[in-house]
Amino acid sequence: MEGTNYLTVAYLGMIAAIAIWTWTVVVRSRRIEARLEAVEASIGIDPAQADELSK
Amino acid sequence: MNMRQRVPEIFLGLGFVGIMSTLYLGMNWAPSVSINAFESPAAQRIFYWHVPAAWSAFIAFGVLFIGSALWFFKRSPIGWRLHVAGAEAGLACGLMTVWSGCVWGAAEWGTPWDWTDVRLNTFGLLTLLALFLVLGRQSQPDGVETRDTFSTFGLYGFVLVPLTYIATRIWQIRHPGPVIAAGDDSGTLQSSMALVLLIGALSFTIFIIGHMMISMRITHLEQRLEQAQKALDGGN
Repeated sequence: MEGTNYLTVAYLGMIAAIAIWTWTVVVRSRRIEARLEAVEASIGIDPAQADELSK
Repeated sequence: MNMRQRVPEIFLGLGFVGIMSTLYLGMNWAPSVSINAFESPAAQRIFYWHVPAAWSAFIAFGVLFIGSALWFFKRSPIGWRLHVAGAEAGLACGLMTVWSGCVWGAAEWGTPWDWTDVRLNTFGLLTLLALFLVLGRQSQPDGVETRDTFSTFGLYGFVLVPLTYIATRIWQIRHPGPVIAAGDDSGTLQSSMALVLLIGALSFTIFIIGHMMISMRITHLEQRLEQAQKALDGGN
């Protein structure tokens, strides 16, 4: 039974950790994308051209 | 959002579902181990998380090495993005591996860590290296010198990967020896256990590829944002 408790704690901790990590990364990606679109639109940069510049 | 941008999220979703399926199968379908072979037989099921997490950590450290080499020798921007993605994914998978190993060690050995075990310590160092690269990059301004410094760590740090791989083959102290690809009959697994492990390894691989793709995209977007903000500042 003790082993099962260890297992449950470990699994729950890791499931929560990867779910939070994934959520954070996806939200961060979408937020940067929205911000970039706004900044590029305000200065009239074509996204394709900006892609080249960033290389 | 176009299809190309959705691909990493599809990988993440598929990988996550696969990981959950692996856990379900590992808990409910895979057979139990002999109660004579382990102090804590139930805790052994953490193996279905620990081994695939370690496998995906090695993939991430491989990507880190390739990215570091591409940046250092070719000045490739994609190489730098691979370096960043590999370091972040290596840190996450390394922490999952260390955490699950510590929980199992506490149940099976009575101690979460053994400072004399080579495998534990080389893998711990790899995870610390990834932590250094992730935190270091965030605390330094981006530039050629910064990238060169961190790429050097990525290149030289990779020596810990083969060392970790062979550690239990040469110096088996606490960490169990190989259960697959052992090179003899000592490391055979029951077919149902091997199947769950395979599903776990595939799921973690898909999941970590999704994470690295999205991480590369974030680095690319950050670079574009920096360019756009420079243009905006220059225009005012």
